[in-house]
Amino acid sequence: MGSERTAVETIQVVSFRLGLEEYGVDIAQVQEINRMVAVTHVPRAPQFMEGVINLRGQLIPIIDLRARFGMPRAEPTKNTRIVVTEIGAKRVGMVVDSVSEVLRLAVDQIEAAPEMITGADTEYIRGVGKIDDRLIILLDLARVISTAERHELESAGAGDAAAVA
Amino acid sequence: MSTSDEFFDRSEFIRYFEDETDELLNSIDADLLRLEHFIDAGPIDAEIVNSLFRALHTIKGSAGMLEFAEVQQVAHKLENVYDLLRKDRMPLTESGVELLFEGRDVLTGLIRAAIGGTAAPAGVEAYVERLDSFAAVYESTAQVIEGVRSDAAPDEDLTPVTAAEVSAFEAEVERLLAEAERRARTPATPVDPAEAPPDVEAAQAAVDALFAALPAAAAPDAVRARPASAEPVATNPRAAAKPDAKRGQSAKNQTIRVDIERLDLLLDLVGELVINRTRISDIAATLRREVGNGARAQHDLATLAKDLSESSALLGRTTNEIQESIMKVRMVPIGQVFDRFPRMVRDLAKARGKEVHLEIAGAETDLDKTIVDEVGEPLMHLVRNCVDHGIEPPDVREARGKPRHGTVKLNAYHEGNQVIIEIADDGGGVDLQRVRDKAVRMGIIDETAKLSDREIVELIFTPGFSTVEHVTDVSGRGVGMDVVKKNILRLKGVFDVDAVRGQGTTFTMKLPLTLAIIQALLVRVADELYSIPLDAVIESQRIEPSDVRTVQGGEVITLRGQVVPLIRVGEFFGLDAPRDPDKVMIVIVGLQGRQVGLVVDSFQGEQEIVIKPLSDVIGRIAGISGATILGNGSISLIIDVHSLVGRVMGLRAHDTGGPRYAPVRSEEMLKEARWVPNY
Repeated sequence: MGSERTAVETIQVVSFRLGLEEYGVDIAQVQEINRMVAVTHVPRAPQFMEGVINLRGQLIPIIDLRARFGMPRAEPTKNTRIVVTEIGAKRVGMVVDSVSEVLRLAVDQIEAAPEMITGADTEYIRGVGKIDDRLIILLDLARVISTAERHELESAGAGDAAAVA
Repeated sequence: MSTSDEFFDRSEFIRYFEDETDELLNSIDADLLRLEHFIDAGPIDAEIVNSLFRALHTIKGSAGMLEFAEVQQVAHKLENVYDLLRKDRMPLTESGVELLFEGRDVLTGLIRAAIGGTAAPAGVEAYVERLDSFAAVYESTAQVIEGVRSDAAPDEDLTPVTAAEVSAFEAEVERLLAEAERRARTPATPVDPAEAPPDVEAAQAAVDALFAALPAAAAPDAVRARPASAEPVATNPRAAAKPDAKRGQSAKNQTIRVDIERLDLLLDLVGELVINRTRISDIAATLRREVGNGARAQHDLATLAKDLSESSALLGRTTNEIQESIMKVRMVPIGQVFDRFPRMVRDLAKARGKEVHLEIAGAETDLDKTIVDEVGEPLMHLVRNCVDHGIEPPDVREARGKPRHGTVKLNAYHEGNQVIIEIADDGGGVDLQRVRDKAVRMGIIDETAKLSDREIVELIFTPGFSTVEHVTDVSGRGVGMDVVKKNILRLKGVFDVDAVRGQGTTFTMKLPLTLAIIQALLVRVADELYSIPLDAVIESQRIEPSDVRTVQGGEVITLRGQVVPLIRVGEFFGLDAPRDPDKVMIVIVGLQGRQVGLVVDSFQGEQEIVIKPLSDVIGRIAGISGATILGNGSISLIIDVHSLVGRVMGLRAHDTGGPRYAPVRSEEMLKEARWVPNY
């Protein structure tokens, strides 16, 4: 800790990319980062639910964050990663385009989310961190997941209706 | 004790308190039911009262430690009443027992509130007042009675005990009690007898000596009833060996409490072992194939394959053993559930003006903890149903030439890999005509529908169905039977009802011993492997596409004269699954005698699988009950046969020849039925 800036609190975030944007999640919530593996498709699950993977004997549900945020899906590349997060008792893997680095953000560098962010709904955003010219969108994972569950219920209903049509 | 939190982990203690009081409240119930028989029936069995006293004393002590003041207070007051009873200072009356039953319930409410951190339930104060005034009558007369008692001539063959001995004994016991209470208030570290302060040792010795001097049978009531008060000192092994305390010990469950999470973890580990075993045999198979293929059969390689096969067999044996022993750890007696019924039956029979005997057999029958937990609700519904709807009022029974009191029998036993639980009553059975009429009135069946007796009885499982005209607060709201059946099917069980008009009703449930590891048939559908629990599979076969016919928009085949509807699994799951023009592979699955054919791409053999739930982040998926990890590390989803078959049966009658009726018309089923156009 530099003596001149001791007063400023910092947080550590894992930053990753989705399309042109850079996102960050609290490092405390990240359990591990894996290369893309075969994902078992779960039929009739919400559309952004990629499926499940076997992580050392445990079943981990996988969310495609692009699909989650309404962005076009992308074919996996050698940079594609699964960020395994732990929110409360729930473990969820998130597919991202690439993982950049672990950053230290001073709390006073974080601003409230502006309205016109293109990707993620402001609903899932804790704030936007600034480092030099970079903007890091900080995600509220609990919300990403809880609304995922809500969404699941809605889309299950919609799915039934669609089957009728 | 405001700093008590520093000394022990409070939440851990509360959990323990919850478990402990659960057991104690159950034992209080059982004891009260036994006590009730002594109303107007001679001297009370002292053991019962002692056991009640001990239970309350323990609750009081633990509540005090956790600073649950209200629990402590009520337990204390109840304890006083039992004290009067066991000192024979109070006669046992019906109103008295009723008050004690009520006290048990008030205590239960208070304990729940204390644990949950919510406000005490209403009516506690009023109850305490009633209890106080009730006890006050006898407490004030106690002195008088005592006086009379000492005048009574002692039985000839009793050794008289001097008043001095009695008061010395009482003083000792009081001191011990105070000591015990002091200890109960200090942090709950087990008391090492070696470290017990010498004065307690001495007091203990004094009590022992006094006991030795008193032939137990010769002691007058006042003294004989006393030793139980020494029970709180039972942390000392010597005190626990006392005759009175011994009963309490042997009556206790010889079980240990194990954190269910730890058990689940062990089970997970075993699951991985099972997976590894499969992996090894996969490798062995591959090796064998390599050797066979490559004609250059190297000796080394062959030996390796053989070794691997052997170690696989060995590993298999070990894992089987581990699996079995873990299963056993998870097993608990069904009696845990049965225990709550005597009280319930008593109260319910009383409220309904009926006389009901409850007979319980096979309470020691073990089954998986998860199942025991899940089966409680359905069982309760059924027992209630028996008392409420099955057993007739005494006068009616008499008129029918039956004994005035009805009998409800609960029986549990093992049969093969299953546990059978029977709930039988000797009541009026099911009035088929009435069920039929009601079903017609509710629009469940058509007036002209031809139904076998069995099919009519099954109508009682229709959601919202009840033949009882007036709604009672117990059952008869029609929410029972369908829910019961659903719950049992969810546990992969079978539920059956057998009713003989005028003679009674028998409900039978067959439950698997465990849910975690099952045999499954692996099938391939649209390039994914799915598992179908083998217990649901009747047969699998390949048929010609021309064998498939269409009846009312749905595909069926005829199998040995029976029309079997088909479900194309790939299409049901919305997978990209083109139909094979040359063949149709079907797995015939059955539930409760009804058959459905699941169309898959190919069969991939049988395997033992470990069931893992899908994450709740994904939520419930219709037709999928969970997933498993296969030997090569890939995941296979487990098909929920019950929900698949249920869907089809909800839409189409299996008997396509006879008159058509939709057995179920609830909202839910209608909603589920929406995807029918696929068929």
